[in-house]
Amino acid sequence: MLEIRNLHVTVEGREILKGIDLTIHPGETHAIMGPNGSGKSTLANVIAGREGYTVTEGEILFEGRNLLEMDPETRACEGLFLAFQYPVEIPGVANLYFLKAAVNAVRKYRGEPPVDAMDFWDLVHERMELVKMDESMLKRSVNEGFSGGEKKRNEVFQMVVLQPRFAVLDETDSGLDIDALKVVADGVNALRNPERGFLVITHYQRLLDYIVPDHVHVLVNGRIARSGGKELALELEEQGYALYNEEPGRARRAAA
Amino acid sequence: MTAVAPLFSNPYRQRFVEFLANRREPGAIARLRRDAFARFETLGLPTRQQEAWRLTDLSALQNLALQPPADALVEAGALPALDLPAHRLAFVNGRFAPGLSRLRALPGQALIASLGQALLTHSARIEPYLDRLPGLEQHPFAALNSAFWDDGAFVHVPRGIGIEEPIHLVFYATGGDMSVHPRLLLALEDGAQATVVVEYRGQGRYLNAPLAELSLGDGAVLHYHQIQEEAPQAFHLGGVRVRQGRDSEAHLHLVSLGGQLARTDLEALLDGEGARCRLNGLTLARDQQYGDYHVRVEHAQPGGTSEQLFKSVLDGKARSVFDGMIHVRPHAQKTDARQTSRNLLLSRQAQAHSNPRLEILADDVKCGHGATTGFLDPDAEFYLRARGIPAAQARALLVHAFANDNLNQIRLTPLRERLARLLAGRLALDIMEGA
Repeated sequence: MLEIRNLHVTVEGREILKGIDLTIHPGETHAIMGPNGSGKSTLANVIAGREGYTVTEGEILFEGRNLLEMDPETRACEGLFLAFQYPVEIPGVANLYFLKAAVNAVRKYRGEPPVDAMDFWDLVHERMELVKMDESMLKRSVNEGFSGGEKKRNEVFQMVVLQPRFAVLDETDSGLDIDALKVVADGVNALRNPERGFLVITHYQRLLDYIVPDHVHVLVNGRIARSGGKELALELEEQGYALYNEEPGRARRAAA
Repeated sequence: MTAVAPLFSNPYRQRFVEFLANRREPGAIARLRRDAFARFETLGLPTRQQEAWRLTDLSALQNLALQPPADALVEAGALPALDLPAHRLAFVNGRFAPGLSRLRALPGQALIASLGQALLTHSARIEPYLDRLPGLEQHPFAALNSAFWDDGAFVHVPRGIGIEEPIHLVFYATGGDMSVHPRLLLALEDGAQATVVVEYRGQGRYLNAPLAELSLGDGAVLHYHQIQEEAPQAFHLGGVRVRQGRDSEAHLHLVSLGGQLARTDLEALLDGEGARCRLNGLTLARDQQYGDYHVRVEHAQPGGTSEQLFKSVLDGKARSVFDGMIHVRPHAQKTDARQTSRNLLLSRQAQAHSNPRLEILADDVKCGHGATTGFLDPDAEFYLRARGIPAAQARALLVHAFANDNLNQIRLTPLRERLARLLAGRLALDIMEGA
């Protein structure tokens, strides 16, 4: 469902991604791990369509269509979701209002009428319990004054309400205690089914104890240095990334 | 001494002589007019060399051959409605329009009337208040209003009486390069309460230079709204004087939407212990519009509270000015005064000037001010778009969020909703035009 082919991306003239190839089929959950500065968040932002990233080579296909030609809202309406590493505070816009605007934007794109108020309320309540979110957070402005954990929980809450076909989680686990981590994992696992795909970006192996991936990729210096099964995450936990950092040339050969 | 701009004030002198000759009113009133006109001639028309008028470019106004107001017919549909039971007075070119007005029964001896008519029937109730408030002494257009006011609204609420329904005062001008100078005289005696909505509207090109005098006795409560929605070619140069007695509460909401050039100078005197004043200003401007608030809050007595929140949203080449002074007199200990100015620029050509000022002569006070100017947060816009919300809607949502805490303070629901719709409509339009 997501095909990334030979993706090269520069930010302010500096090449960050240096030829990424990655294919994710429906029903699969892939994890991308890597040290800081390896290009993990760049990949997430390019998939979501954030400005400031220049694709110099390669392509991304989503359900066979050129993703890079779509603006961010079209990507979202087509079923793509990014759980932000740094969720944005939006004072003056209530969380619930924002969520309803998002749901209705997607429905409008699909040619459906706006969501029925009662149906929406039922859905929100059901999903709120799934991520153990307090009702008071609905009335507060989007992420305003939320703790780090509340912000991440709110990202997962949005995801389970919007029910995207493909979700990218950009370091959703960073800064979370173990209880919050489980909530994030519960949200993802509740959505996992044979039609959905996930790309879980993380620095630590910890999250992958709860969201068990089908494939793990190690991103180092803008390239996928190694791919493997879920056992690769455990290996990284023991050995760290030092092996890849010290000899990127050898790592590249090993990946090829 | 002061240079007087000849194009502007000479026609006014001739006009003043004729105007005065045709008035039938008590001698005391005529004296006030003559004094005011003498003050206007001394002050002269403002120039940009004067600090208070440095950013206000009146050259387009000075090129007009301004005409005295004339009677005109206006369709009722042209006037805004409150969608609430209200006492309504309408004025066309500064004169009372009984056919467009609707007065309801009032409690006690309360009076809502045309100022011109009340002068004939109730002059004893007017004279203690007319031109009695301090403030705006250096403002030539306030002096001009005091010389030339033809008519206006008189609201007198005696001691302890509350007027439940809002008082809706609509001032409509019909263009033709007229200069109109409507007056609002509002007196709440001790413990009196009222809610007032003033709306300025019009068509064509004209100068509207209104003056409002709001007098609050001890413990009085006023909710005052002033919606400036003048015609696109119009000039609006208004003044508001407020005097507050002990433990009185003034909630003042100023919204500026129309006109090519609009400026309101407001001075509030907190003249009794424990007076509370909330000042809430919102300017929306686009194209070449200029919107300006000059505010002075004077804490004269101890224990007063004032809170100012002024915001502007500017698109195109629009400009806004907020000049706000908090002055705390030596005697006014335990004053709590806050002032916030926030500007949102929707285009690179728009400009916002904020000039918050404090003069604190007491030593036991809490005063604070802050000013920010910025563009829409691109991260917030991306966040909304990444959830499927189209760019134009995302921008409108963010602007609405910015203006919302001003609008939310307006308690008259239909008015608040009308302003919110207007804001939303204008944004959608601007974004489409800009696309």
